[in-house]
Amino acid sequence: MKVWLGLVLVLAVALVVGACAGHDWASHVDLMRAVAGDTDLRSRLLFEWRMPRVLAAAFVGGLLGLGGTVFQGVFRNPLAEPYLLGSAGGAALGATFALLVPLAVPQALILPLLAFAGAWGATVLVIGISRVSGAVDAAGMLLAGVAVAAILGALRSFFMLALSDETVSLQVVLSWVLGGVQTPTWPGLGLLAVIAIVCLGLTMLLAGRLDILGLGETMATAFGLNVNRFIAVAVLAGSVVVAAAVAFGGLVAFVGLAAPHIARWLVGPLHRPLLPASALVGAIIVTLADAIARSALPPAEIPLGLVTAVAGGPFFILLLARRLRT
Amino acid sequence: MLALLDQPGSATAAPITIHDAFDRTVTVPAPPRRIVPIFASNVEMVAALGLADRIVGIEAYTRYPPEVLNKPLVGGRLGFSVDEVVAQRPDLIVVTPSRQAANQLVDPMERLGVPVVVLLQRSVAEIMANIRLLGRICGVAERGEEVAARLEGRIARTTERVAGLKPPRTVMITGRLGNGLLLVARPGTYTGDAIVLAGGRFGLESSGVIAQVSPEAILKADPDVLLFAGPQKDLDELIGRPAWKDMRAVRNKRAHAVSRGELLIPGPRTIDGIEHLAALFHPTAASR
Repeated sequence: MKVWLGLVLVLAVALVVGACAGHDWASHVDLMRAVAGDTDLRSRLLFEWRMPRVLAAAFVGGLLGLGGTVFQGVFRNPLAEPYLLGSAGGAALGATFALLVPLAVPQALILPLLAFAGAWGATVLVIGISRVSGAVDAAGMLLAGVAVAAILGALRSFFMLALSDETVSLQVVLSWVLGGVQTPTWPGLGLLAVIAIVCLGLTMLLAGRLDILGLGETMATAFGLNVNRFIAVAVLAGSVVVAAAVAFGGLVAFVGLAAPHIARWLVGPLHRPLLPASALVGAIIVTLADAIARSALPPAEIPLGLVTAVAGGPFFILLLARRLRT
Repeated sequence: MLALLDQPGSATAAPITIHDAFDRTVTVPAPPRRIVPIFASNVEMVAALGLADRIVGIEAYTRYPPEVLNKPLVGGRLGFSVDEVVAQRPDLIVVTPSRQAANQLVDPMERLGVPVVVLLQRSVAEIMANIRLLGRICGVAERGEEVAARLEGRIARTTERVAGLKPPRTVMITGRLGNGLLLVARPGTYTGDAIVLAGGRFGLESSGVIAQVSPEAILKADPDVLLFAGPQKDLDELIGRPAWKDMRAVRNKRAHAVSRGELLIPGPRTIDGIEHLAALFHPTAASR
């Protein structure tokens, strides 16, 4: 219980710090004035632009934490992460397409849709390949995933070279690929919140069977689990979660890998507590990383994916080293 | 009430609605007093309207005119800061969709209700149109008309002077890439316009949409005039190379360094660039 209270408290602090952080630091008084409906330009900036962004970052982080936990659980491999199975690569390809090809549909709508279609398609493709080739186990699927991710990455690079022109700057795509939370409108944020809650519910349904799978495939089969079928279902569920995260946050490296590990140290390996804990840890990491991204180098904003990797990497290595020593 | 009447002009200032380069409808409620023009071209156009003192923020690569250089920076190589822009309390933002400016600023400013105008100046004609448009937006429509007409008059006099003279085949190198390829000025751009208006013609037969060409293509074209947009010492280094020394333009001392500020920033100074090019293309006509 203490751990949960601690996690929620840290997230709350992270959210407030995030809302204060920027090239123009706001005080808690500024924040309260903005929430109270002050019409001053700076207050409106805080309320209409910064606060939805901070909350969106938290949700994106939570989704990445969830997705990472599912993938690590399915593949029983601490190195598994959303990017390995092509779902992030597929989402990135879809989003690149949406950013570069002029379509008759508003980009705010088509970008998440294509990102989602890309993630889903890539995952189905990976499962299909491993089925056809008969390598339906976790290792076979991981290898198929790595190959598909490589192909998707190459296709995305090709689109970036072939479709970009001077008006639709290549930098727009590049900055999206490097990760950065889109600032939603308040209704858009509501949609993101609903998606995040649905994803949490969806993955919680898998929790019990992920624990059984953790015992090993033979043992899980002995417990009556249809292992291959479950892996396929769980991977699809994981890719839904990742697609949602990528659609709103671009490619944010590293969080899907690190958050489940940190959460496991806090609440143990059982998935029922692990999934929500990973979501909270992911939310904390991305909220703080986004605050750094927005405030570290005025007047520029650093792509979020770079911050999570550069700032999060050493921190994770440190935790890992301490953990291994004890 | 009396206070309102005391300010001549403010009572007559009606909101202005325009269509910008993204075909957005932008309404500017009153002549802006605090302008953030992003990119050198937009800064120079606002300054040419005599409104440099209304500029309250620039981005890091703005180098001209000198009186705006100490203004607060709102962006640079890594992008543009919504926070910094809002901190200047602007009532007009002018951007060009380059780097991430339009992408990063249009959406937040629309949500905050600060007018954002997106301008494209891909040709000399668009530069003129945008000077007039900015004049209208800023409540100095007459001055915009006057500035544009004066610049157009200078272009007309230049083209008149070079009319009927044989246009030299010209290649203008605008940049060098790490892989050895060179960037050249193309037709259909304001830099390309400048070459033609100054009485030159394109020396690379196939200079279509691709701006990158290999050095061999330039050597093979062997233009009458070779222009290099950049410092003299970089040009000297380039034409000091073995094959380049034997080019017609180099032998005839018709390889010239030209100003990047005049020819690679689409603004009022582009007209200076056209006059300088005309003098290089047709040295005798310039004194006529």
